[in-house]
Amino acid sequence: MHDAISLEKLGLPAAVVVTEEFLHEAEVQRAALGMDGLQPVVITHPLSSISAAEIAERAEQVVAQAQAIWLGRA
Amino acid sequence: MAKTTTGGVEAVYDPRGRVDAAAAAIAPRARQLKGLRLAVLDNTKWNANKLLRQSLKRLDEEIGFAAVNYYRKESFSKVAAPELVGEIAANNDLLLTAIGD
Amino acid sequence: MEPAAVAELPRADELAPPPQGTDLVEWYFAKGFSDGFPVVPPTPAKVAAMLAALGGEPELLECRVPPRWGGLTREVLAINLVLAGCLPDYAPVVRAALLALCDTAFNLNGVQATTHMAAPLLVVNGPVRKIIGMNAGCNVFGSGNRANATIGRAIRLILLNVGGGWPGDLDKSTLGHPGKYTYCIAENEEESPLAPYHVEHGYAAEQSTVFLLAAEPPHSVTNHVANDPEGILDSICSAMSTIANNNAVSSGHCAVVLGPEHARTIAKAGWKRQDIRAYLWMYSGNRFRDLAFDHRYGKIYNRNLPVWYKREPDSRIPIVPSPDHIHLFVAGGNAGRFSAFIPGWGHMTSPVLRAIDGSVGPDGAFCVDGTCAV
Repeated sequence: MHDAISLEKLGLPAAVVVTEEFLHEAEVQRAALGMDGLQPVVITHPLSSISAAEIAERAEQVVAQAQAIWLGRA
Repeated sequence: MAKTTTGGVEAVYDPRGRVDAAAAAIAPRARQLKGLRLAVLDNTKWNANKLLRQSLKRLDEEIGFAAVNYYRKESFSKVAAPELVGEIAANNDLLLTAIGD
Repeated sequence: MEPAAVAELPRADELAPPPQGTDLVEWYFAKGFSDGFPVVPPTPAKVAAMLAALGGEPELLECRVPPRWGGLTREVLAINLVLAGCLPDYAPVVRAALLALCDTAFNLNGVQATTHMAAPLLVVNGPVRKIIGMNAGCNVFGSGNRANATIGRAIRLILLNVGGGWPGDLDKSTLGHPGKYTYCIAENEEESPLAPYHVEHGYAAEQSTVFLLAAEPPHSVTNHVANDPEGILDSICSAMSTIANNNAVSSGHCAVVLGPEHARTIAKAGWKRQDIRAYLWMYSGNRFRDLAFDHRYGKIYNRNLPVWYKREPDSRIPIVPSPDHIHLFVAGGNAGRFSAFIPGWGHMTSPVLRAIDGSVGPDGAFCVDGTCAV
């Protein structure tokens, strides 16, 4: 979240990807850093030990949510 | 917050300290995405690169960015170096970053 | 007054003083301020004594503790020191440890949040150890000594209460380890035939320092056979050379603790600190094919390891990138031919070394604001 918040402050809409297990942490981090308005992209957990087909599914989740976040439709 | 004992109560103490966060607004949203420059920041955790490369390929197919710039953090879970942040901000309009897992 | 931005229970209004006669040990348990053990309920006198030991100024902000970024003022520090059962004499040690942990090089944010079991290990050097009654000898890792136990505990209570690193919440460690209750030792400078750790790193012997490493639990190394350096160190190399410890796959720093019997055997042969660390580095390691599982789950490169490691099947992959990534201490009792290997978390964190009074070492080790990334 830190890097995304730094870049939002510099004017870049940011799509930060977290897995659902880490959504709470992301919410606490953004609150602690003062940027409640930053919406993360949330994908199914886990990412680290899955098949290529499962990675492709996660990528689709990213594609849909990232655009909505950048355009302010999240 | 320290409290002194007054008649009829026990003194108790909050061990947590305060969180003082200066509120910051998010950047203005993009009006449209075509022709913008996308920064992709990989925090080098397992499979982050695979996820990001597939995502940016699909996004670029759908949107048509002017440029896609791929960056890697020197170490996951550390914040990106200020020089890297500066470089990303100077050369891009949007950010995609992963992965918090 | 208390910003409501961060979701946390209880809110300030739920901390209304309870009626006289309330069991305060139970009260602190109920509010969620305990590490699992009963705390010492602070009183105005106890908090004042801690504050005095810290130099007064209750609102002075020492640091902010991630991932919650709670403000560790001297008063909040004092409260947690009392809760832990510390004596005021321990306060400067705990403060120095927190300042070191909050140095960006340590990456406390990452250590708090990781799914790995890493917990900060504190090693204290210098005169302060005896002054405050720390244990550097028999059972140095526990239990039985108030200073060791409560200094480590105070650190953990701050990481929990101020840092918000609650298990299952922001602390995602799959397993945790007992060091997350307390993990604090003193080097046994008196029994050690080697120079003390802090002297090796540029401090004067009479300076007192804290060293922090994000660490797994100690892995015991038995060797009751060898009467030379190589044999003893080969056993430690064996403990290091597993694919399971986190350094094997994530690089970074680790620690080795020599028991005094082992240390004396090694020193009798004329070996110095750098000889020991170099031998350990040189003769430990894994084969790349073992780390990659022969690529049977897909081709593995592992970008967490240095680019200059070869990735051929039989390439030797060091446990850490250099002998200087091995942090060597002598500690423990005089009887028993045991040492310990303590893996670290990985390249994502650097251990930190800091003088308790914030001064720098005499030969100006590379330090910022009193904290030296090693």
